[in-house]
Amino acid sequence: MTRKKKNVLHVYRDISVFAAFSCLFGWLVVRGGREIAYTWHWNQIPRYFFQVDDGVYVSGPLMNGLQVTLQIIGLSLVLAGILGLTTALLRMSTSPVGRWIARIYLEIIRNTPLLVQIFFLYFVMAPILDVGRFATAVLALGMFEGAYASEIFRAGICSIGRGQWEAAYSSGLSTFDTYRKVILPQAIRRILPPLTSQAVSLVKDSALVSTIAVYDLTMEGRTVIAETFLTFEIWFTVAGMYLFITLILSAIASLLEKYVPQRTA
Amino acid sequence: MNENASGLKSQVQPIVVVDSISKSFTHNVKVLDNVSTRVTKGDVLVIIGPSGSGKSTFLRCLNGLEDIDQGTILIDGIPLDDHEKNRLKIRREVGMVFQSFHLFPHMTVLENVNLAQKLVRKKSKIEATQLSKDLLQKVGVDDKAAVYPNELSGGQQQRVAIARALALMPKIMLFDEATSALDPEMIGEVLDVIRDLANDGMTMVVVTHEMGFAREVSDRVLFMEHGCVIEEAPTERFFQQPAQERTRAFLRKIL
Repeated sequence: MTRKKKNVLHVYRDISVFAAFSCLFGWLVVRGGREIAYTWHWNQIPRYFFQVDDGVYVSGPLMNGLQVTLQIIGLSLVLAGILGLTTALLRMSTSPVGRWIARIYLEIIRNTPLLVQIFFLYFVMAPILDVGRFATAVLALGMFEGAYASEIFRAGICSIGRGQWEAAYSSGLSTFDTYRKVILPQAIRRILPPLTSQAVSLVKDSALVSTIAVYDLTMEGRTVIAETFLTFEIWFTVAGMYLFITLILSAIASLLEKYVPQRTA
Repeated sequence: MNENASGLKSQVQPIVVVDSISKSFTHNVKVLDNVSTRVTKGDVLVIIGPSGSGKSTFLRCLNGLEDIDQGTILIDGIPLDDHEKNRLKIRREVGMVFQSFHLFPHMTVLENVNLAQKLVRKKSKIEATQLSKDLLQKVGVDDKAAVYPNELSGGQQQRVAIARALALMPKIMLFDEATSALDPEMIGEVLDVIRDLANDGMTMVVVTHEMGFAREVSDRVLFMEHGCVIEEAPTERFFQQPAQERTRAFLRKIL
């Protein structure tokens, strides 16, 4: 048998195994759906997105929640990026105090639950600093994801060979210029994939800010459920909306990867 | 008469002054042991010696890529000490070429040569490009200006690296086994470029294993072993009447 024929057979075998498992899974879901005897009301869902009253667009709770979630994500992504890069640079700096600060921040944030951090910031720090719920949410998420991002940044920077530093230094470049023009541009390209999964984590973790009554997507969904008891439909919809955000993030990342080719020496 | 004397003095004034420097990586192993030398402006000093003799480390000390434990280094009158400013100043006057090129892979050939001109000399892109093009032509890769380093052969990459080092108009060039990572048929093209530089009167310190080349371009030869200078002499005397038995043994083996 030729190699090509063998490959085609493999593909057919894979597809049939996959189809068999899909059928089994579908059957389980349908059967489970009947067992719980739940009456689905999918037709009621659209109006929680938005309504058109007399030709005027009125956004519903889910759209409002999505907007808040997107704002939180956007701001905390920026904060996480800044904190992550700063922490990574501090950890690799020659200043012992800088390295300590970075280390302490990293260990505290990585070794305590995000939920506890959110509560701590909201109930202890927010009154002292006099900041609102929204700012607390952004701060908590940014600090949490920033700690993880810093390790990604550090790994990326360390992966750039010593020769690049030496070449830059012997061209008379300062450390700042070496980072800016030589090291970081190469490192960023390498850390884009892990950074994307960290961003996706941030999107999902952002649901936790609903615990301090920030009216994000999760909180709005919960409120709608409390009023309507459309538990399954709303949670499925909310999950779908989160999926939508993360898929867009991943798509942007793969576009970047495609158009910024990785070049090695 | 007085004027003449001072003119003469400035001519022979060494541009590189190294006074009894020592360095150890761990407490016991000395990689450099009391090394001193001087390089006069326009001269080519070739450093030879067996592997692990400390010749590359010595070269890397000259632009502060390695720190020294003892001794002093003076480059064009500037002391290479703990002051970051002095270190930067010296690095701007000293170009370096590495064994494995170390071009910046995310930049085109032209951008590689432009970078330091723009950042260090604060030149505009147009000014920088003008000089870069000249330099790339000089080393024979002007047709590759828009190409990324990974599309070049080793010999071409090394010639670009030389152009990059020349872009700051350095007073001294350091070559750290510039041809050791190259395929044999590419060694010649890189040596040609270095030879041209020597003929142009560039002050150079060259670590190399190419003895024929060393003999041809150098004014002085320094032979190192175990971190010590065994012998330093003008080229002809070094190869024809080496003073040290160790030097004779080394030369017998490699020539």
